[in-house]
Amino acid sequence: MNECVVKVNGQTRRERVKDNVLLLDFLRDKLEVRSVKAACWRGECGLCTVLLNGKLVKSCIVLAVEANGGEVTTVEGITDGSKLAPIQQAFVEHGASQCGFCTPAFVLTCHELLKHNPRPTEREVEEAVSGLVCRCGTYAQIREAIASVSQPPTRAEALQKLGKGVR
Amino acid sequence: MSFGSPYLTLPDFTYHRASTVEEVIALLKEHGDEAKVMAGGVGLIAFMKERLMSPAHIIDVKGVEELRQLRYAPGKGLSVGASVTYEELASSEVLKEKYTVLHEAVSRTGDPMIRARATLVGNVCEAIPWIDSAPALISLDASVEIAGARGKRTVPVAGFIRGPVDIDLESDEFVTGIQIPDAVRGTRGAFEKFTGGSEFAVASVAVTLASENKRRRARVVFGSVNSTPVRCTEAEKALEEGEFTQATIRRAAKVAAESVECVSDVLASSEYRKHLVEVVTLQALWRLLQN
Ligand SMILES: Cc1cc2nc3c(=O)[nH]c(=O)nc-3n(C[C@H](O)[C@H](O)[C@H](O)COP(=O)(O)OP(=O)(O)OC[C@H]3O[C@@H](n4cnc5c(N)ncnc54)[C@H](O)[C@@H]3O)c2cc1C
Repeated sequence: MNECVVKVNGQTRRERVKDNVLLLDFLRDKLEVRSVKAACWRGECGLCTVLLNGKLVKSCIVLAVEANGGEVTTVEGITDGSKLAPIQQAFVEHGASQCGFCTPAFVLTCHELLKHNPRPTEREVEEAVSGLVCRCGTYAQIREAIASVSQPPTRAEALQKLGKGVR
Repeated sequence: MSFGSPYLTLPDFTYHRASTVEEVIALLKEHGDEAKVMAGGVGLIAFMKERLMSPAHIIDVKGVEELRQLRYAPGKGLSVGASVTYEELASSEVLKEKYTVLHEAVSRTGDPMIRARATLVGNVCEAIPWIDSAPALISLDASVEIAGARGKRTVPVAGFIRGPVDIDLESDEFVTGIQIPDAVRGTRGAFEKFTGGSEFAVASVAVTLASENKRRRARVVFGSVNSTPVRCTEAEKALEEGEFTQATIRRAAKVAAESVECVSDVLASSEYRKHLVEVVTLQALWRLLQN
């Protein structure tokens, strides 16, 4: 047993935890953050993705003690007070949720992508979510949701896309 | 509570977070037989869930500053510390420019979340037949740097990986990093893998072409086709002779398919793998021919 102090969505949490407990189980069972989903438990489906010290990680392959002294953000943490973040709103509007099981991971991952890259290309979006699996296949709607909140291309980029180039 | 399945929980162990190389060595001296070093944990945690490994002690090396270094020195080459992640490697300009073959292998490993945690050294220490980094490293003549209570030693990656999950490492030793010799000017490389939609490669190839005293020098190493990476000197010879043309690359790919020994398993028969050997070789060489 170790004392584990982690800042979760801005709130400091202090719990005793065994060395062999996964960050995923720590978050769900001890801290009751239920948006973090458990599915494959082997780092493949990515539905347990959280931000650990500013990096997206799959929490089923991270130990809780590794987060000791650090900071974890889950999808709850990106909501601005009681107002949904633009990407959350976009998921609602575009029906990108379907059964909803993978939604927290997708929303968090896309939010992070757009934070660092406000105008991602289709290729960049695909790469960013390549570690996530949506079994009901809302990929098309998820794409639309991301496109709706990413910034529009500049005039030059739009022309280039049309094959006109800029002289 | 993980539904009580043994596959979803981890066995009991004591976690140690080391902050110096000396500390790692001291812990290994004390618990070596019962301990495992952990970098990203991506592989180790999966192995433990499946009870393929149940170490009583885990030594986390992520906090060791010295092992975080990714350094390039002209003439000496690139050294990759044991806790340098794939993400750091994929965004390295030196890697992209000078060690293209490794950059391509690294950028195509897993997904962004895996790359944020997984390390190159951890990948090599895993020594699973279908890892992508080993062929690239072998094609670059890279070596593994090892430290232990009895001192330091260096082993070529090709010899370090002895078999599936079998590496040249004593229980009181660990890997501090990987050293890659400086690439001569104009060195080019390409990595290709065929996954057939699965997570891992069914066949992969790493090619490095360099010029040595005005002669072309080739290295061709296959992954995922046998229990350890396979270097194909016959294909290398075919690439070193004469002009570098379409005919040459076709011949080299054919020679590789004829001479590389491939295993049959649940993913593919040896005949199919031989076909893939030819295909991935052509793909890698075609890109080298074009730029
Ligand atoms: C979803 C998914 C996709 C993946 N895709 C790919 C892929 O496309 N290509 C590919 O090649 N791999 C792939 N992998 C495997 C992954 O790249 C490796 O598991 C990872 O690189 C291991 O690195 P690590 O730092 O996490 O090692 P760890 O899990 O920490 O360690 C792995 C093993 O190496 C030992 N070890 C680690 N560091 C040291 C050290 N310094 N000295 C001695 N021993 C050490 C550990 O004891 C353990 O036995 C994938 C894995 C997952 C989960």
